[in-house]
Amino acid sequence: MNLDQLIDRLSQDVAPVSPNAHNRRLVIGLAGGAIITAVLVLAVLGIRPDIHRAITGFSFWMKWTYTISLGVGAVLAVSRLSRPAPSALHIFGLLAVPVLLLAGIGIGELVRTPSQDWLAMWLGHSWTVCSSLVLSLGVPIFLGLLWSFRRMAPTRLRAAGAAAGLAAGAWGATIYCLHCPEVSAIFVLTWYSLGIFSAAAIGALLGPRLLRW
Amino acid sequence: MQTSEGQLKQWMTDGLNGNAVAHEALLRALVPLLQSFYRRRLRGAEDDVEDLVQETLISVHTKRATYDRDRPFTAWLYAIARYRLIDHFRRRRVSVPIEDVEAILMVEGFEDASGASMDVGMLLASLPPKQARAIRQTHIEGMSVAEAASAAAMGESDVKVSVHRGLKALAARVRGIKL
Repeated sequence: MNLDQLIDRLSQDVAPVSPNAHNRRLVIGLAGGAIITAVLVLAVLGIRPDIHRAITGFSFWMKWTYTISLGVGAVLAVSRLSRPAPSALHIFGLLAVPVLLLAGIGIGELVRTPSQDWLAMWLGHSWTVCSSLVLSLGVPIFLGLLWSFRRMAPTRLRAAGAAAGLAAGAWGATIYCLHCPEVSAIFVLTWYSLGIFSAAAIGALLGPRLLRW
Repeated sequence: MQTSEGQLKQWMTDGLNGNAVAHEALLRALVPLLQSFYRRRLRGAEDDVEDLVQETLISVHTKRATYDRDRPFTAWLYAIARYRLIDHFRRRRVSVPIEDVEAILMVEGFEDASGASMDVGMLLASLPPKQARAIRQTHIEGMSVAEAASAAAMGESDVKVSVHRGLKALAARVRGIKL
């Protein structure tokens, strides 16, 4: 086929595209995955029984602020990296802000707690399962984002994969907060972050394979 | 002659709003841009150049929803073109010396180039229109003095004088801007 025929053919099919089409697709994939994750938390893990009290407390909102700000940052990165553009990797630098803030709270906690209680506070009741649950709960969200990516055009595949993994991990963790009764900042900083950033690392490994177009 | 960023962006935006004529004009205008982009990087492989131009046009068409109307069009276009080229090497399993990869991946200073062309546009706008046109035609679009003179229905010496005075005024202005 020569160029003229190709251009004629392509110009037959020019449907209007809404300026929001790209981000809408992203949000649909993300929300679709998040709904499945939420159903899993409700059906398999169960919501923590004291949720109505926890929701007025500091530690619940500390956890949510941490995971949601990572999630929002990651989704912004996905929105950028899913479009063809000269590299803009400095967005990832912003992710240091919530991590440092949480570390600040953690230091305050350690100062106020006698050192013989530090280990108990750091390991909580669920350190053995927390990271892997966060990682597993990210899977449906990652799959949802992969669906979104089918219409997108990332040109930095590894970075786009990492951003998608991070978004999946952070939103998975946000939903997991409905179940998880842990209260300490250093617990969240360690075990939540381990799950969330493992998801990002797996996304970075898979990106070049899964996101090609 | 190559189509300007402003015109390409206008066609792209109109095409996204459903204007098939603008979309076709865009795709046709991209052909020479993409051909020279790929020719510079694949010396002598004319078949590959044609394949890549076709693939890139298809990508521009099928991925047009990923264009953000608030950003420069050419940056989006060349990001796709570069991606198609890297994908082409990957499929052919061509190994490229690492220095060349650098050249392929290089962002090519698009931002600098478009920033510079905006600066030039602003400076020229500050000149009398006759001088600005004479400079634009002879120094940016590459016309000869004779061509510029006949295009503007002016005498050749008039063009030369306009260019000379205009450049002098610009130089003075730029020196004034520099602190």
